Amino acid sequence: MIKKSVTKKLKSIVGEKNTILEKEELKAFGIDDVLPEIVLSPNNIEQVSEIMKLVSKESLSVIPRGSGTKSALGNKPDRGNIVISTNNLNRIIEHGASDLVATTECGISLGSLQKELNKENQFLALDPPHINKDATIGGIIATNDSGPERLRYGTAREFLIGIKVVKADGSIFKGGSKVVKNVAGYDLPKLYVGSLGTLGIIVEATFRLYPVPEYSETYLASFSSLENCHKTILTLLNSNLVLTSLELLNPGLTALLSKRNNLDINGSEYCLAIGIKNVEKAVKDQISTVKKICEQSGGKGVLIRGSQEEKLWEDVRNFPSNIVKAESAVCKASILVTQIPTVLNMVKQLSDENGVETSVSTRAGNGICIIAIRGDASSITNAVKNLRAFISTLGGSLIIQETSTEIKEQFDIWGDIGSGLGIMKRIKSNFDPDNILNPGRYI
Amino acid sequence: MMTQHKTNSSSWKNKFREKLIEIIGEDGVISSEDELLAYDCDALTGYRIKPIFVVLPTNAKQVSEVVKECYHENIPFVPRGAGTGLSGGALPTDEGIVIALSKMNKILDVDIPNQRVVVEPGVVNLWVTNAVSPYGYYYAPDPSSQIVCTIGGNVAENSGGVHCLKYGVTTNHVLGVEMVMPDGEIIEIGGKALDHPGYDLTGLIVGSEGLLGIVTKVTLKIIKKPEAVKTLFASYDNVEDAGASVSGITARGVIPAGMEIMDSFCIKSVEETIGAGYPIDAGAILLVELDGPLAEVEAQMPIVEEVLKENNAIQIKIAKNSKERDLLWKGRKSAFPAMGRISSDYYVQDGVIPRSKLAEVLGEIGELSKKYGLRVANVFHAGDGNLHPLVLYDASKEGDLDKTLELAGEILKVCVDKGGSITGEHGVGHDKKRFLSLMFSDNDLDAMNLIRCAFDNKGLCNPGKLFPTPRTCVEPGMKKFEEHPVQKAGMGEMY
Repeated sequence: MIKKSVTKKLKSIVGEKNTILEKEELKAFGIDDVLPEIVLSPNNIEQVSEIMKLVSKESLSVIPRGSGTKSALGNKPDRGNIVISTNNLNRIIEHGASDLVATTECGISLGSLQKELNKENQFLALDPPHINKDATIGGIIATNDSGPERLRYGTAREFLIGIKVVKADGSIFKGGSKVVKNVAGYDLPKLYVGSLGTLGIIVEATFRLYPVPEYSETYLASFSSLENCHKTILTLLNSNLVLTSLELLNPGLTALLSKRNNLDINGSEYCLAIGIKNVEKAVKDQISTVKKICEQSGGKGVLIRGSQEEKLWEDVRNFPSNIVKAESAVCKASILVTQIPTVLNMVKQLSDENGVETSVSTRAGNGICIIAIRGDASSITNAVKNLRAFISTLGGSLIIQETSTEIKEQFDIWGDIGSGLGIMKRIKSNFDPDNILNPGRYI
Repeated sequence: MMTQHKTNSSSWKNKFREKLIEIIGEDGVISSEDELLAYDCDALTGYRIKPIFVVLPTNAKQVSEVVKECYHENIPFVPRGAGTGLSGGALPTDEGIVIALSKMNKILDVDIPNQRVVVEPGVVNLWVTNAVSPYGYYYAPDPSSQIVCTIGGNVAENSGGVHCLKYGVTTNHVLGVEMVMPDGEIIEIGGKALDHPGYDLTGLIVGSEGLLGIVTKVTLKIIKKPEAVKTLFASYDNVEDAGASVSGITARGVIPAGMEIMDSFCIKSVEETIGAGYPIDAGAILLVELDGPLAEVEAQMPIVEEVLKENNAIQIKIAKNSKERDLLWKGRKSAFPAMGRISSDYYVQDGVIPRSKLAEVLGEIGELSKKYGLRVANVFHAGDGNLHPLVLYDASKEGDLDKTLELAGEILKVCVDKGGSITGEHGVGHDKKRFLSLMFSDNDLDAMNLIRCAFDNKGLCNPGKLFPTPRTCVEPGMKKFEEHPVQKAGMGEMY
């Protein structure tokens, strides 16, 4: 419980209108069944620092928050007295268009940032889900979220070049720099990618940017067997084609997406969506090669562009949210490209055995499978446990990105972190000795 | 210091040597004065310290056992690859040992379909590309020393190269490491699959300059050779026009694989040494390499040529074949050694600026050169704003070296003033630690120290590097700083 005098002080730091204390309103900020006692939306970095100085002295716990689109990620928090929302930290500090870099406060939504960068025909090469729900830059960094275009550009770690953080004790520090090439000091920005708010509140970030590609087309092909489809994937990856995205949809998902997007594709088959962005001629030349490669393995396809293409990729990015109704668990499996058929067959087998339904969207060039599972809690738990065990024998990993509190309590959503866990815990305890930032959710 | 006392005692030394021999064998422990001399510095030869011993382990277990011994005996240790580093990162520590990884030089796994290669740290950078090029692949980071420098050293320094504008530096191509922690524990981080749960320690370890542990295995990403490569050079009257061309090209939405500038000093010495075909009387030349799908390269080439002409390029020449292309690059890669022809000694600086400030900064370097009365030759990775000014001096002339170092430091200040960095690829090491606080406040350095202490609470792993002044570790929950022995001796201060 927060002392009344402390509540008063906190309120005075950010002001009345940036404080939420009403029980009903607080409900929207809960994680699992942990409800905060207060939500604060500081107006600037100094206020974040002041809040942290005060709460660390009182040993109160803090859940940092952007727009809350990924608040299901992580184990159930041990506690969480205070939510600090970065929503008011939404200024773009600098867009150095001729240097292809931008520095921004972290509460800005990716959508708003892109709109500004697009004015100079540049963009931040991240396409995570929930752009339409105002996913923030800070949240994307903290959860290391990405999308199908990671094949071409990589994830946030590849272009986050500078960072400013408010530590648990309220001190403010920066790491990295504002130039694209820099090896001075430890690469702290990378440590913060995927740190889930456990090492501090990310308040400012500097990114390297890319020019917006001139033209885009996507070729979709369905295959009568997973083996033929996989052969095509390996051929595409072993070519010198520069693909922007390469997504493999399982039959159930193919049916759903082809219906939603009016695609002339056999919904009962595995389907590949191959996106290429470049100058127009390079797109057309490469797409015709892609078509040939698909046809060699019996793939039957359609070419899409314009708004139809954009809508399909929006669906793939947001999968499973909005697309599959009432999913009960969303997992992310990380494996090797060569292991894709083995793992997808195992997913199918486990679904049948446990009586659960699964839709799978696979970043085929990266070996990342997003698996949405529907069914009752005990069947899901069983299926996920078995799948995780199978994947770990392959040297891969499986995390649960989203699920009910009930299922979360069955196992650690992160799985086995491995022999690096000890040093991760020491880093956490050096940065947050009293464990007040997102306690229990991650490291 | 206690360790100093200990290492002076010949009976302790003999016993310690025996232990090392027990772990590695007689041929893996170097203790003769003559042989130790070969390890007293890296490519920053101005600083030399003789280690007490050098060990040459052949596997991770041996590294771990040696490190455990050091941890137990409080003996500092310095990891070393090929010793090509330019910042003194592998400079031995007083009363410490060197752990040289040169015998751990096996390529362990070449996995073409998954585009991964797993290597031991002593594997030479170019060997990776050689191993995968029959399959049409290559390893992207290509430092100028790639024919000798090792992957372990590249990981420590986060090495770059001439193609990192488009493809990134070492950190963008390392997916995991096996590492011996400073207390001897062996840990495995990341690996062939992506997105392993937990903090991105791989990202933290790459570029940590050997202060966090000793990497004993590295998983690398390889990439497919592009369909088309086109290399061209343009000559200019002055280096400012070349600089303006560089930012002009990226402003038009073209990201070449690499863009390199050399000024007239470099052109002359390179031409006299290897004859790369550069116009010898030019004020500057710019090399541009475009790669990717053929249609993309063909669409970008006219844009690049247009920008070059807009910025007063005198001559533009496109390499007609791979032989011409290789020659153009050979000229660039031999720029440092060729400098020996026009000056007996030179100091290589490494600083970064936003590329839009190239022309401005080059002007300021010219002013500084005049002010100090020392010639400065410029060769640099212009695309990413990474400057390598070479300060030419004469070591036999009294005071020339001091003046050189002062001028080189002034150049770094200019870089930081323009929003840049004190090092783009050579690292801080021993050489630049006093400049780190130009970029980072006490709070920033404290955060870095929290990292170091999490890994190495005794401060035994490559000590005395990177941080401007020695910093102690505070146990979590302990609020008071203890005075470090170095502080007590008046050799360093806390801030």
